[in-house]
Parts: sequence; C-alpha cells; structure tokens
Amino acid sequence: MPEVTVKNLSKTFGDNAVLKDVTFTIKDGEFFTLLGASGCGKSTTLNCIAGLEQPTQGAISVGGTAFVDTKDNIFLPPEERNLGMVFQSYALWPHMTVAKNLALPLNIRKVPKDKQKTLIADALDKVGLADLSHRYPHQLSGGQQQRVALARALVYSPSVLLLDEPLSNLDAKLREQARAWLKRLQEDLGITTVYVTHDQDEALALSDRIAVMASGNMIQVGTPHEIYESPAAPEVAAFIGRCNFLTGKVVEHRGAVYTIRLDSSDDTVTVESEQQVEVNAAVTVAIRPERLEVMPLGSNPEGQNRLRTEVLTSSYVGSRYEYDVRLGNQVVQVLSGRSGLTGEAVLVFEPAQALLFPEQVELSEEERDLLIVS
Amino acid sequence: MSTITDAPRTPGSEQRETFEPPRYRRPLGIGRDQLVQYGVLAFLAVLVLAPIVPTLYQSFVDRPLYEDGRVFTVEGYKALFTDAGFGEVILNTLLFAGLTTVLTLVIAIPMSIVVVRTRLPGGRFIALAMQWPFFISSLILGFGWILMYGPAGFVSVQFEKVFGGVPWNLYSIPGMAVTEAVALAPIAYLFCANALRQSDASLESAAQVCGAGPLRILMQVIIPMLRPPVVYSSILVFSMSIETLSVPLLYGQPVDIDVFSTFLYRNGLQSVDPDYTVLAAASTVILAVTISLVAIQAKLLKDAARFVSVRGKATRPRKLELGWVKWVSVVFIAFYIVFGALIPIGGLVFRSFTLIFTPLRNPFDFLTMKNYETIFTFDTYVQSIWNSLIVAGVGSVLVSSLAVLAVMVARRSTFRFGRGVEYLALIPQSIPGIIIGIGFFWAFAYAPFGIGTLLQGTLGALVIAFGIRALPSAFGSVAPSIMQIGAELDAAARVSGADWLMTFFRVLRVLITPAFAGALILTFVIMLKEYSPAVFLSSADSNILGTTMLELWAQGRTGSVAALASIQILITAVFVALAGLLMRGKHRA
Repeated sequence: MPEVTVKNLSKTFGDNAVLKDVTFTIKDGEFFTLLGASGCGKSTTLNCIAGLEQPTQGAISVGGTAFVDTKDNIFLPPEERNLGMVFQSYALWPHMTVAKNLALPLNIRKVPKDKQKTLIADALDKVGLADLSHRYPHQLSGGQQQRVALARALVYSPSVLLLDEPLSNLDAKLREQARAWLKRLQEDLGITTVYVTHDQDEALALSDRIAVMASGNMIQVGTPHEIYESPAAPEVAAFIGRCNFLTGKVVEHRGAVYTIRLDSSDDTVTVESEQQVEVNAAVTVAIRPERLEVMPLGSNPEGQNRLRTEVLTSSYVGSRYEYDVRLGNQVVQVLSGRSGLTGEAVLVFEPAQALLFPEQVELSEEERDLLIVS
Repeated sequence: MSTITDAPRTPGSEQRETFEPPRYRRPLGIGRDQLVQYGVLAFLAVLVLAPIVPTLYQSFVDRPLYEDGRVFTVEGYKALFTDAGFGEVILNTLLFAGLTTVLTLVIAIPMSIVVVRTRLPGGRFIALAMQWPFFISSLILGFGWILMYGPAGFVSVQFEKVFGGVPWNLYSIPGMAVTEAVALAPIAYLFCANALRQSDASLESAAQVCGAGPLRILMQVIIPMLRPPVVYSSILVFSMSIETLSVPLLYGQPVDIDVFSTFLYRNGLQSVDPDYTVLAAASTVILAVTISLVAIQAKLLKDAARFVSVRGKATRPRKLELGWVKWVSVVFIAFYIVFGALIPIGGLVFRSFTLIFTPLRNPFDFLTMKNYETIFTFDTYVQSIWNSLIVAGVGSVLVSSLAVLAVMVARRSTFRFGRGVEYLALIPQSIPGIIIGIGFFWAFAYAPFGIGTLLQGTLGALVIAFGIRALPSAFGSVAPSIMQIGAELDAAARVSGADWLMTFFRVLRVLITPAFAGALILTFVIMLKEYSPAVFLSSADSNILGTTMLELWAQGRTGSVAALASIQILITAVFVALAGLLMRGKHRA
C-alpha cells in the first residue's frame, strides 16, 4: 500500500489562485480528510491527485510513481493512475446495470470474464448489494447508489481511494449510518483513502488525520483530537465546532497564565496558553460554547473566571439549552444543561478551557450585525 | 509455541491481487486522444477557411485564381468604391436590413409579452404556430407572397377590384422588408419569449404586492427586462437580413434594386464575363461586415448572460389579466399568422393544383394534377428532389457527427485549443451562404491534387457547403444537451481507466444519442431548405429543389414552382413527424 506525497501544489485560474503551495504526505493505509468550506481548494486538491485537473505547479507521487511533476514536465493522465474515486453525484453510468458499471474498469484492464464475475460479486458483497447487480442505477435508492459507486471504485483494487463528498447527497439520518459503515469498510480494506468534505462531524468521526483548508491554504494538519482541542488558527477553531471570539489586550502574564482585558466589557479574564505574547499585545480569546457555563446570580460557582452577564435569549435545542448572553456589547453563545435562566447571570469558564490567539480576530460584517448589541 | 490470538486481519487477501492499470501508447508524446482532438481542429479549420482564404486572395489579384501570371492589385477595392453602383447597394442594404429589424421587433416584442405573460385565449396554439419558419424556407415564402400580394397577385387584384387601387408595392425595399420581417419575427419572438419565461416571476409578484396594476407592471418591470434579448435579436436579425438572398432576389431583380447578396448573385452569375477581382473584393467587404456583427452579438450575449437571473428552480410565471387589450392582441397575432404565413403558403399550395390562378376566373374550375405530372415526367426535376434528399440526408448525418465531435472536444476535453474548435464551428454563422458558394467555387478551382475537379459541380460539393452552413446550428443544438450530462460521468470513466476516446465510445455515446438525433432532425430540415451556396456550386446534374425552383420561376412556370415548393414542405413535415414519432418524448425542440 503506497504513500501519497503532495509537494508545493499550486493551481491558478487566470489571476485567481485556488491552491497556494500546499504540501502534505498521506501515510500508507491512512484515512486522510481534506476539510474546508466550499471554494477552499479541497476539491481542486483531490482532482489534482486524480489527474482530472492539472496543477499549475508542484508534484504529486503515489508509492514512488510520479503522477505530476511540473518541474520535469510529467503528467500521468487519470486513466493511468489506477485510483478509485467516488463522486458527489456518484456518477454511475445511467445506461448500464450495476454489474456493467463494475465490469467496465475490469474490461479496460483486460481481466478474463470468469474472473470478472467473481470480482464483481465480491465487490457487491462487500457493500451488501449482491442481489442488485441487474438493476439500473435509477432503480436504486440514494444510499444504494452510493454503495454501488464505492464498489465500482474498489472492484479493480486501486492503489488509493478518493472520495469527493460521497455522503453529502444522503439525508441526515442515513448519512450517519453510512459514515460508520464507511469507516468499518475502510479499516477492513486498509486502503489509503483521501476524503473531501465540508462537514466537520464527518471529518472528525472518520479520519485518522484531517487537513483543514481555507482559501487555498492548508492551515492545519492533525488528528481530529488535535484539530478540535488545539486549533492552530482562529479559522480552524471557527470551522470545527462553534467558537466565541473575544478580543482584548494582555494586561500581564506569568508563565503560561495570561490576564486579559476584554474589549467588549472591560472585564479581565485569565487564560492558560502555550503562546508567547507580550504585555499590551492585542489578542483574541476563543471559547467554545460547551466550555462555558451560565449560573444564576447569587450562586457561588467554582472556576477562576466569573463574569457578570445578562441572558438575552434562551432556546431549548433538545439535548441542551442554548443561551445568548451579553458580555458588554457582544453576544456570547453558551451551551448548558441548566434550564430556565433569565436576566442577570454569571458566566463561568476555566482558564485552560479557553484558547489564546496572538491576533485580533475581525468579525465579518454579517457576524458584527448579529453579535454586537448596544 | 503459539497461543491462539485474533486471526491477523488479512483484508480480503485473495482479492488483493492488483491489475495492471491500462497503458496507452503515446509515440512522440501524442496519444490517440490528442490525435483526434488535433484532427477535429485541423478539419474544421480547413473546412471554414476553405471558402474564406481564396476569396481574400482573389480580391487582391488581377485575374481568376486558376489562371497563370497573377499580379497583386487593389484595383478590385478601388473599382468597388468608385463604382457608383456599389454605394447604392450599400445604401439599399442598410435600408432593407434596418427596416426589417424595426418591423421584426414591432411584431415580436408585443407578441412575446402577450403570449408569455398574459392570459390569452389560444396562447399555446400561438406559441406552436410561431414555429412555422422552421418548416418553410424564405424562398418559398417569397413565392407565396408574390402570388398573393404581388402586382398581379390574388389578393392585390381582389383588393384593387373593391377599393380601386393597391396601397402597397411588393417590389420595393419596404415590400422586401415586410416579407423578411414576417419570416424573421419568430426568431426575435423566441429570444424575447425565452427571456420572459426565464425571468423570476416573483419580481412581478413583488410589484403586485406593492400595489402596481397590470399595465404598470408591464411598463416598469417586464419591458425593461427585455432589453438584452431585444438588443441581441436585433443584431441577429440585422445580420441575417444582410445575408439573405431569397426575398431581395425575387422582389428586387425585376425592378433593379440591388442589395449585397443580389449584387454578388448578379455580378458572379448573370454577367457574361464576371470580374472576379471585384466580386471577391465585394465579398470580402460584406464578410467583414457580417463577421463584425456576429462578433458584437457574441460579446453582447456573453454580457447578457448576467441578466439571466434564475436558473434551475422553475417558477411558473403568474399571468397578467389584460382585459379588452387581449382581444386586440389576439387580432394582431391572428393577422400576422393568417396574412403573413397562412394565406401565402396556402395560396402557393393551392396554386400547385390549378392551371390558372387569378381572381378573374374561378380557380376551382381549373383544378388539375398537371403541375405534379410535369414535375414527375421530367427527369431533371425528379433528380433535383432526389438530390435535395441525398444532400440533406447524407449532410445531416455528417454535420451532426461533426458537431458532436466538436462539442466533445470544445466542452468535454482538456484540449488546449478547445475554445478554438468552438469558434471555428460557430464562425460559419457569419458567412453569407452566397459567399460560401463563391468561396468554395474558387477553392475548388485552386485546390491541390485535383480535389477541386473531383468535387466541382457534384453533390459532394453541396454537402460540404450546406454542411458548413448548418454546422453552427448543429453545434448550438448539441452543446446544451451534452452539457446537461454530468461531467462527473466522464471523470468516473477516466479515473476507472478509460482514456478520452474510450470514455466517449463506452460511456457517453449512448447518452448522447438523443442530442445527436435532435441535431439530425434540425440539420436535415435546414439543409433541405438551403440553396444559396448552390447557385454557384450546382451543375446541371446537381441541381437541388431551391435552384430548380429559381430556374423555373425565371421561366415563369409558376405552377411547377408551386408544386416543387409543396413537395418540399411535405417532405419536411413528414420527416419531422416521423422523427418525432420515433423519438417520442425523448427530445423536445
């Protein structure tokens, strides 16, 4: 099983740089996810690996075979790369039965007919659709089509499996089941897999490692745990899970413990961080809603950071309550198990639960409209 | 000693065997994909440049291309612009094209609005009736109009008897423009109607909620939205009336009114010793005009695409209630359809069954099949029917195949010159048919290896010339259908190991069939109606319906012309009906 190496990959359309010098290595047998909002370059990266797009610059090799190298003018067309790929629309050929869909790549590889039969049966068996080989794609449900697409991508034992948002066309409930099933299948096969998605839950649940992309850059590569717990940049924190961003200034710091005065409310909070920031530097404190807690006024909560707030709205979202509370002129979101809080309250969090970024995160205009209150 | 533990995971060990991914040979770095792609590019380039380059060259040498001792000269252009005649030709052409454009818009804009956006009795029928020019060539329409509204026409004479005079004169520039406008109005109508259908109906609902009445909505919401299609279709109509031959030829020849196309016709065909240099210079000038018009049109269409507000989500436009105005509209539309198309064409068909056609005698007394008998007793006439069928039949298959290939290369490959292929396929739109005829005439005279003599005067020459004329329409009809097929289907085949060619043959070919069939029908009908390049390319053996009709018309044998015209209409109708039955619902034009 080969390793995928991508070096200094760039792609521009005219003046528009879609990919900017992206470098990463995918280990043998790894489930590697490219995660990002639409237009971040994740699909372009995948298409460059597949050979469906030509990078403007850079090199890609799989298991020692150079697929692309702009320096040496190497470009291997997609049909000679021996990859398996599942598309967002599944791209099953509508005029062929399921069996014919699977047979085409085998025919191209000149696999003998009887061998083809067993391979197709095995592949369909693997995805649990052994009885449906004579159906046409339009006679299958979305989930079944998705599994046929996967079977077609696997039937010829490709070196790497590429998945382009394969679950995004399924409805929410089915998607979660398909996710678990896909994970088991990939672990069983041990095939190196590159997965593209904009869905953070999918990425966290499936991946061995995640690469978070934004506007053509790869911001962070790490395990799901690393990405969620110690995001390398505010963009990552914002994209994976939800996050409140509070800007402020460093008042003092002792070792890893910083005291910060918040711009929104003039409160001071303490935050633990490995970051090295000077006194007086402008910083951003980022806290996830579930790491915050609101308490009724008058209770004496534990925790070093206690801030006076006012509950603006509270909504019941099934498993928990979601509060919008006011901190100075900014709205802060809190997820809490506590019900029925209104009016004045105390906002509590531990210094270690907050993240510190040595830069001021500018809210977008839309966020400002929604999150700034007078 | 070993203890039993979990069996080591051997992920499908027996299936883990790998297969050689396919290898495609690429001698000198060029695979068969590129070979085909470059082949299509080169073929189109030769095809499109063949009539243009010899024309350009001819315009700068002092004697015919096939004669020796050619000397460079600009005398042709000098003669053209000092010769007072050509100035008048330019003026006539501008007048004719301008008037046609205005009249076309006057007919098309109100019609599209009332049909698409208001509740109108028989609206669906009207939308269907507007497709009539698809079946009837402007040559046949011209015949019909002369038979009815000409100086000795059935309607004119009748009118004169009642009112003592006729206020119109068909054999004049306004007369030509009216006829041409009637023929071209459906094109402008189609553009406006499509724009109106695509635009977001909620815009109007919003205006309605704000309290605007139907008339205000019409004036302030709907009509401003029509600006892009109106601009676009006026340029299209303008350039089409510059290149048209039929109506100016039929109406203008008897009274010596020349426009661009008839100027070329007269100087190239009717003069005893044609001056090829002047002819080529005139062709070049006209070509420059039509090509720049189409370039403007293409540019505008690109910008106009921004106006198309919504796609995908189909909102059914709410229809406005117009009150009494709708009856005025119905009368207006009925007038256009009945007097513009129905009476002339009906009259022409009726004419084919009578010996004498004049309001002075009851034509029913002279009912006869003699016109048809004449046609079918003379081999040359029967031959021209077969020739038309062969040219249209063979040509439509070739052109549609070429169009599919061109679309595949232009839109469905990573070919570096894909854009170039698309432009080449669309350029013939801007070359007047008569110039394609002249150009190929010279190209054959000049072609190497005796290709010219092989093709000169044969049906093959007509297939090529008509095919080029039909290519842009075929491309335009195939491209959207192919683009509707998800690009991921190709990508899936490529990743599975098929190269571009194999993807086409194994996967896309079947899916493209409906698009191909649609293009086939369209190009068959276009090529059956076509004739203008043939006036220069046909020999006695390769006459087609159009050229034979022109010949018979010149001889004054109106009955035979009417019979041939009726046959052409019948062939078109039967072909379209059969094709429609065969495809049934798969393709809707």
